[in-house]
Amino acid sequence: MALKVDYMVRETATNLVRNLSLTIASILTVAVSLSLVGGSVLLRYSVDNATQQWQGGIEFIVFMQPEATEQQTQAVERQLTESTQVERFEYFDQDATFEEFKDLFQNTPQIVESVTPDILPPSFRVVPVDKSAETIESLRSVFVTQPGVREVVAAFDSIRTIRNLSNLIGVGLFVVAGFLLLAATLLILNSIRMAMFARRREIEVMKLVGASNWFIRIPFMLEGVFQGVIGSAFAIGVVFGVQRVFDNIAADQRFSLFSGLVVDNQQVMTTSVFVMITGVLIGALGSAFAVSRFLDV
Amino acid sequence: MIKLENVTKTYKGDVPALRNADVDIAKGEFVFLVGASGSGKSTFLRLINREERPEVGNIYVAGKNILELSSWKVPYLRRNIGSVFQDFKLLTGKTVYENVAFALEVIGRPKHVVKTQVPAILELVGLGKKMESFPHELSGGEQQRVSIARAFVNRPLILLADEPTGNLDPATSVGIMRLLDRINRTGTTVLMATHDRSIVDTMRRRVIELDRGTIVRDQHRGVYE
Repeated sequence: MALKVDYMVRETATNLVRNLSLTIASILTVAVSLSLVGGSVLLRYSVDNATQQWQGGIEFIVFMQPEATEQQTQAVERQLTESTQVERFEYFDQDATFEEFKDLFQNTPQIVESVTPDILPPSFRVVPVDKSAETIESLRSVFVTQPGVREVVAAFDSIRTIRNLSNLIGVGLFVVAGFLLLAATLLILNSIRMAMFARRREIEVMKLVGASNWFIRIPFMLEGVFQGVIGSAFAIGVVFGVQRVFDNIAADQRFSLFSGLVVDNQQVMTTSVFVMITGVLIGALGSAFAVSRFLDV
Repeated sequence: MIKLENVTKTYKGDVPALRNADVDIAKGEFVFLVGASGSGKSTFLRLINREERPEVGNIYVAGKNILELSSWKVPYLRRNIGSVFQDFKLLTGKTVYENVAFALEVIGRPKHVVKTQVPAILELVGLGKKMESFPHELSGGEQQRVSIARAFVNRPLILLADEPTGNLDPATSVGIMRLLDRINRTGTTVLMATHDRSIVDTMRRRVIELDRGTIVRDQHRGVYE
């Protein structure tokens, strides 16, 4: 079967232009729905990143002074080991803290450059036996007064709230995106159907003279895939935009909770690839359905 | 070349369009299908290039049972069967040349074949000087010549013509019949459904008459009735 590339490209282009308004509608719907999908994936990543220090049941962190002595650190460690209210804990020295810091701020090198390991506080990440607010408060009051301790930060409710909220927003975005994706698929299906209707006489002649089924189908399939690809290209633009916004927030408020709300380039790439694949899939799906349903060869 | 064995075709909830048809057409024959409107002539033609499938019976084209062809092979069957219609089915946005070239391009014929075959066939049908005209600039007879050129450019074994002179005046029809006769003389089997009494009576070829789906006459060197 000799499939001529120039023929296919020409036909696909003609179809797209002939049906401009419906083509634009399909592309925009793909773009909006995939932007939401990409945005919710990024949000999930960023919340995971922001709360990285708080994963694995860690409920409070004892930050030591950067210049705390060895004895002071060992005293706190001993106390944590002996406390019956502490299930387990982990010590992050200055180098480990710096590594984690670099990880979190890898997209904002100006922040990383302004920091050296020796100004960062080493810390104990503590998992208490009992996660009630009273226990954590009592532990906090014990450790905050110890010599060499800079501060004790408890997760309290803020971290949990952020997690729950982001879960809720994430699920909400996914549901809306799901409906929009369905709408996008149906729009693509319809625009392909219109294209086939506009060219029904040519299709009839092609069938009569014995053009192979795929020769007739492929320009229409390409048209659907093209709509999916352009739509997801827009959505990927939005994904990169969201990353910029997160980075700006992080740069503005370097030590607040939101400072962790960053996504690294790797995660943005993964999200973009995911968005592109989804776009191609719904384009192919919509047009394949239109072709198999309405192009009876 | 074409063989129907006990073929019955019924459209949904209707009387049979074709009933127990047994026909054997040899290579190079010229056959008229006659009968009133709705007698099954078009169905007969549509069965041969597998636009329709019968409920009962077998259909052989060039020795192959076409009902056993998988659907992706049907286009290859149709490359051996040219089709001509009463309404020409030309593409209005394409020139005469492009209409004929289209038939070769969509079956993947290389450019140099298209460039030599299309002018040659248009010369044959007498339209060598109108290659750049659009269908609406041509007379009905000329448009039908284009459609015959398109059907024949790929040198099919069989040519199916469904009332090709139905829209043409008698003088023009004679010209079209000369052309079909000429194509038949190259060895192409021609099967033509028609209402045109004078054409059938003048040509004196094999006549198959249908009446409400049943073959009531199959006569060599026949007349209309």
